[in-house]
Amino acid sequence: MTPTTAVFREHTFELHPYGAAFWKDRSMLLVADVHLGKTAHFRKNGMAVPEQAMYKAYEKLDELCAHYEPETLCFLGDLFHSYINNEWKLFQSWVRTAKTNLVLITGNHDIIPEHKLEKLNIEIKDEWELEEFLLTHEPTDHPELFNLCGHIHPGIRLKGPAKQTLKLPCFFQKEHQLILPAFGEFTGKYVMTPTKEDKVFAVTPEEVLLVSGE
Amino acid sequence: MKHQKIIVEAENWFKQHGWKPFPFQKETWNAWLNGKHGLLNAPTGSGKTFALWVPIALSLKHYPGKTRSENTGVKAIWITPLRALSLEIAQATREFAQGLELDIEVGIRTGDTSQKERAAQRRKMPDLLITTPESLHLLLSSKNYEKQFRNCRAIVADEWHELLGSKRGVQTELALSRLKTLCKDLRIWGISATIGNLEQAREVLLGPGSTALENSVMIKAELRKKIKVSSIIPEAMEKFPWRGHLGIHLLDEVIPILKASRSTLLFTNTRAQCEIWFQAILSKYPEFAGEIAMHHGSINKETRLWVEQAIRNDSLKAVVCTSSLDLGVDFAPVETIIQIGGPKGVARFLQRAGRSGHQPGKESKIWFLPTHAIELIEASALKKAVKEKAVEDRTPYLLCFDVLIQYLTTLAVSDGFYPEEIYREIRSTFCYQGITEEEWQWVLNFITMGSQSLREYDEYRKVEVMEDGLFKVNNRGVAMRHRLSIGTIVSDAMLTVKYMKGGYLGQIEEWFISKLQPGDVFTFAGRNLELFRIKQMQVLVKRSKKKTAKVPSWMGGRMSFSSQMSDLLRSELYLANDPGSQLSPELKALAPVFERQQRESIVPGPGEFLIETFKTREGYHAIFYPFEGRFVHEAMASLLAYRISLLDPISFSIAFNDYGFELLSDQVINIEQVIDNDLFSPSYLHSDLEKSLNATEMARRKFRDIGVISGLVFQGYPDKQLKSKHLQSSSQLFFNVFRDFEQDNLLYLQAFRETFEHSLEEGRLAQALERIRTQEVIWKNCEKPTPFSFPIITDRLREKLSSEKLSDRIRKMQIQFEK
Repeated sequence: MTPTTAVFREHTFELHPYGAAFWKDRSMLLVADVHLGKTAHFRKNGMAVPEQAMYKAYEKLDELCAHYEPETLCFLGDLFHSYINNEWKLFQSWVRTAKTNLVLITGNHDIIPEHKLEKLNIEIKDEWELEEFLLTHEPTDHPELFNLCGHIHPGIRLKGPAKQTLKLPCFFQKEHQLILPAFGEFTGKYVMTPTKEDKVFAVTPEEVLLVSGE
Repeated sequence: MKHQKIIVEAENWFKQHGWKPFPFQKETWNAWLNGKHGLLNAPTGSGKTFALWVPIALSLKHYPGKTRSENTGVKAIWITPLRALSLEIAQATREFAQGLELDIEVGIRTGDTSQKERAAQRRKMPDLLITTPESLHLLLSSKNYEKQFRNCRAIVADEWHELLGSKRGVQTELALSRLKTLCKDLRIWGISATIGNLEQAREVLLGPGSTALENSVMIKAELRKKIKVSSIIPEAMEKFPWRGHLGIHLLDEVIPILKASRSTLLFTNTRAQCEIWFQAILSKYPEFAGEIAMHHGSINKETRLWVEQAIRNDSLKAVVCTSSLDLGVDFAPVETIIQIGGPKGVARFLQRAGRSGHQPGKESKIWFLPTHAIELIEASALKKAVKEKAVEDRTPYLLCFDVLIQYLTTLAVSDGFYPEEIYREIRSTFCYQGITEEEWQWVLNFITMGSQSLREYDEYRKVEVMEDGLFKVNNRGVAMRHRLSIGTIVSDAMLTVKYMKGGYLGQIEEWFISKLQPGDVFTFAGRNLELFRIKQMQVLVKRSKKKTAKVPSWMGGRMSFSSQMSDLLRSELYLANDPGSQLSPELKALAPVFERQQRESIVPGPGEFLIETFKTREGYHAIFYPFEGRFVHEAMASLLAYRISLLDPISFSIAFNDYGFELLSDQVINIEQVIDNDLFSPSYLHSDLEKSLNATEMARRKFRDIGVISGLVFQGYPDKQLKSKHLQSSSQLFFNVFRDFEQDNLLYLQAFRETFEHSLEEGRLAQALERIRTQEVIWKNCEKPTPFSFPIITDRLREKLSSEKLSDRIRKMQIQFEK
């Protein structure tokens, strides 16, 4: 698996094919829209999603943490998709084994009471200003800061010769903003229409490829 | 003899109306009274309703239940595929019951039945109930349903041919299997139009090897109706397009036919085509205003009923319609039918023809309007097919685990069920005759534990097993969601179209509306409407005076040629190549097209298999012409693309129609390699098909239905879309999760089985490949697209297949920037 390096405001980020971004200078791993708890929520309501689907996100997070050894893992919103269900127990035990600081920027789906998360030593923020960056869940325009966010689940449609088309998840970069793809397995994507100024990094299972811009 | 008395009574009633029973009606009465089950083969509007209602109603009068409790509940059930038909059937039945002074209540139970009426039915069921397969299952999901049904003596499955080849047919089989146990003295009858596999239709209805089947009859109406088939052939062939599917260029030729006929039905293949034709007639011939109407499934019910009544009253000159008017009782004033574009099935074509010339002794008249030049070959073949009555089979579904899961949940929602009893019942149906013990256990496990063993974190909740072994749903939310989801017709989310001032116009598919911006104008229900805004599940519009508008496309099912029709089509085509043969007017009219095809390539003969290649701006095209129908072509294209892609990394875009298929690539497609490597070989067919990515993509589409029917995907509460948001997911995502984590899931496997059996038609594909082996391959490298290739290469609905690395493909691609 090959990540791609990108520079925003002179800070270097590695964009990983799992849909995570690693901020090198701060040793911070960023992921958006994990949507944990969805599997259990469906099953609780009589919809038989294979239970194994639940473990995939944790496996991917573990793999990323082993690779980058980040100081901080920051979730850009929509970490937990539902009310407390039994997947919460799984999440609790995962948090206890995690060797990194955990931060959650809350999103529209995060309906777990904050004190429950804080009890697990997860730091909760509505947004987070860090140097020249503003970390949020929903895309936010700021006059000075560069915005790192999620929420949209961006995807891109590509057209090629002989009527070929492809639809892939992507990192979507505007002049002062990077929107991360959804990290969760069980999520859809929203097809973006970029302008000439935007940069699009398409995500394939193997690598992250810049498909537009410079 | 009491039977004789009953028949005389019925005959007298017929006499009062100046009618005389047809022989098939009397034959059915007798069979019924003698305790037979059976299948009645009779076309729409032939008096089939009275063939069965008469003995059912009269035997209720002459053989009433002995005790009070034997007279409660429903006595007879009439299953109809279309809600719209239920009204007419009820009306005819009531008239008859009144005429004979029978003390019988006739009721309807469909999706249109009001809450109030449902409640009344819960207190007291009508004696004769007219319903749909879905509503019947809904009744099975209500508490104490046994009581309502146990005195039922008769079930009639009307238009059984329509249900047979669908999952609604499976639903009917399941309901019958339950009622056979509940009702002591039940007679089962089906009514079917002519199809290729009538005997099988009877077996599916009554159950293979059942006593009902043993004690049954097949009655054929054998009404000799003359059908006159003509084609609308343009004067100048040069004006006739090589491609297209609308047929509007022949509008002027249609008008004299409309004027000469008392009333005409114009059948189109899609709702979009229907809207376009209606608009086109009105704008070019405004004198028809008020005399023509439109009828399709998305128009609101009141308007549809009004149109149907207006046809009967003789107050309309013409109606542009879709299959929504295929069925239904008599439209006496209709003299002529026009079929626009290929009907893709002989049975359907005959059925539509039969909607005209209803009076005894009159002939049915149907015109075929080809939408592009090559379709004239189809027209010519259709004429022969009508003469030879080469109607197709309706293939019944086997082992539909999705429908079974829905059904078991239905039973669990009402009074609960004991598996041993139900297993016996479902084993007796055609659909599930081959189910294994393991599969049955899997299904039970699926509804109780979500298809796996209990684990630490799991709190799966649907059907619970009670202490005495009863399978039951106790959770109210689960029960409510299930009742809302009963059915097997899956459609895109439908939005309601309303005027801002109020006034309901109909329903439209979400994906069309999602492409529009407020202010855009679109055509709907024959009007040009401006989109104001979308609020929850409602589309608010106002009238627009703009002339140009977008026309919604509805994703209707695409039909394919049957093998018989394909045979006829090929032999018509070969005739064109045979100088000594007598050509039909259609083929004669095609002479200029054939000449050009011959000049640029060839018109293949019986021993020849044609492949054409040429290059255009789009890339390298290779066109293959098996003339086997769309489904076989889709499979064959996918197979061939896969096999070629094994030789070298290459990406294809694939298109197909009823005549042939196209592989398009940005690289040269080496046809010599195809021939030398024997890539049309029927060996390893199944495994190659399975490996071709396309089969997975098709299975993914099949899974759309399966996910909804089996209750994995919840489509939402009507008009309460928001509340269910946390439970909504697409079946696509489910499909992916099963692919990654649970490949032995029977629902996942069913998607592939359905793909191979119903869409890819593996059996026919193998036969077609065998046939091609006996033919000589003629490869023509052409300068430019040929007349035959045109309708195929311009088709925009395409499949993809690639053996290139994803990143290599991406490097050749571009993103679409905002304009």
